[in-house]
Amino acid sequence: MIKALVSLNADLASSIALRYACQLANIIEMDLKTMHVEDAVQKGSPPGSGWVRRTWENAMLKSGEVEIGQLIQAERLSYPALRAPKMVVGDREDEILHETQKESYDLFIEGALHTFTAANFYNKIRSKLYRHTPCPVIMVKNLVSLEKIVIVFNEEAEFKRLVATFLKIFKKATIGLDLMYYQFTESEEEPPQDSNEDADRILHNARQILMEAGRQTGEIRSFRGLPEKLSELLRDYGLVVSPFRRTLSKKGLLLDFLSRIPSPILLCWQ
Amino acid sequence: MRILAAVDQYPYSVVAVEEVAKLALNTWADVTLIGVGPKLTSKRFRSGEFSAAQALDQSFKDAIRRYREHFLSYFQGEDSPYQQQRCGYEFIEVEKGRWEELYVCRGARKDLKVRIRQGKPAAEILAESYEEGVDLIVIACDQALNCTWQGIADIPQKIANDAACSVLVVKEAPKINRMVCFLDHDRVSQASLEMINQMVTLHHVELELVGVTTGEALRADVEKKMDLVMRYYSARNIKSWIKLVEIIDFETFIKQEAQGSLVALWMGEKSILEKFFPMKKVVRLIRASQSSVLILR
Repeated sequence: MIKALVSLNADLASSIALRYACQLANIIEMDLKTMHVEDAVQKGSPPGSGWVRRTWENAMLKSGEVEIGQLIQAERLSYPALRAPKMVVGDREDEILHETQKESYDLFIEGALHTFTAANFYNKIRSKLYRHTPCPVIMVKNLVSLEKIVIVFNEEAEFKRLVATFLKIFKKATIGLDLMYYQFTESEEEPPQDSNEDADRILHNARQILMEAGRQTGEIRSFRGLPEKLSELLRDYGLVVSPFRRTLSKKGLLLDFLSRIPSPILLCWQ
Repeated sequence: MRILAAVDQYPYSVVAVEEVAKLALNTWADVTLIGVGPKLTSKRFRSGEFSAAQALDQSFKDAIRRYREHFLSYFQGEDSPYQQQRCGYEFIEVEKGRWEELYVCRGARKDLKVRIRQGKPAAEILAESYEEGVDLIVIACDQALNCTWQGIADIPQKIANDAACSVLVVKEAPKINRMVCFLDHDRVSQASLEMINQMVTLHHVELELVGVTTGEALRADVEKKMDLVMRYYSARNIKSWIKLVEIIDFETFIKQEAQGSLVALWMGEKSILEKFFPMKKVVRLIRASQSSVLILR
């Protein structure tokens, strides 16, 4: 059973993330837990220590409990097994990182509303949480129906590792699965290629591994184009599974591509 | 719902009539087609000596009659809500078990009025909308001439600016690919939600809800409203996407991403769009956009 953690705040991104996670939990065998961190820094300096500090922390948690509780209550209709969240005071990234490591979660899910510019996406990717979290992350940008998934590959993808991560979570799921190989161009004038041996090899091998694991694939396609054009092709998917190296350059085309995809993205660390 | 379609004698007005007909097919709205002619200043006219035939330009009257026929062509036979009165003798049950043959006239279930006013176009159209309690004004314009109407600049823009109701400025664009609705405050009327529902259904497009921010995040009240709006459309099986745009990027977003979309702006007192994107920019948007623009109130 997959152990998944959803980070919740009293905001629209969390509402979308929780609804998406409940949808996912109804499709795959998942132990879904939620967590809310009251940011101690935002609320001012914690007073003293001992029982004074504990009293202060309890008061902060109480105010968060009501709003987060309402989020949970609303989603129990679609997923009755949803339990009360873990409520913690502290630095959000530190606490979530600690929790994912301590409890050996298989998947971390959080909301990240889709934005016109890529700055918010870059900040998230570069955060301590994303640089160090041991498990794959689903960034939920929009609430979409989970009817079809696509795994995207490029020439740098460690495709065996990517497929293995996907299978760990979705092996028994019956959702449709497509495979897509992409290559970026830097201008619209670049001529199309007749064939791409790398693409054919990677797609063929990925399909083999999936079939051996009992996972059927649907469409298998190869594309070449600008990041903004390629990202639009993925709009119909309920989840885009992408490899991701944490050392990627901020100005890289991959980051531009991922920031433009409006669907939820599963980032598989490579 | 009551719709006012402002028409003139130029071909682009057919586009407005067609859009209203499609809306009326789904909503069974009361519709008024209105044309505006020049005010006659002759003393004989003011004294009431002119008949309608003399006061109104024949080609203009012919044009507006053609628009009425074109509108009615979207509604076939006896099921048309705009079917004219039919009178005849019918047996009506006047009391339980007692029937009487009465002469009965059954009128149209919905109004289709055709009017001509005289005066300044924008003022007359707005006056008609106030007097009739209209929910939506629909107007097309000459895209080749910077969105003029009856050869006059900025008529649709003035109406969009001063109307108390929503205004749809219709452009003769290629098929639209989506509807983009900008939201930056929490005052969203039920009527405007229904209107967007109608437009999305009519054009078979997806809906993009764009939250306009002044920093990195949406205001808490706008977030809550956006969540409610999303749930509203999800319950009606309308796929909606969310995107956040900072106000400083608003015009760039319109140029890059909203071309080919039907753009809807919720304007209101609490709108930061009104503060950062004042009506003169809305005027520019209406003039420059290749697609229709819906100002929601």
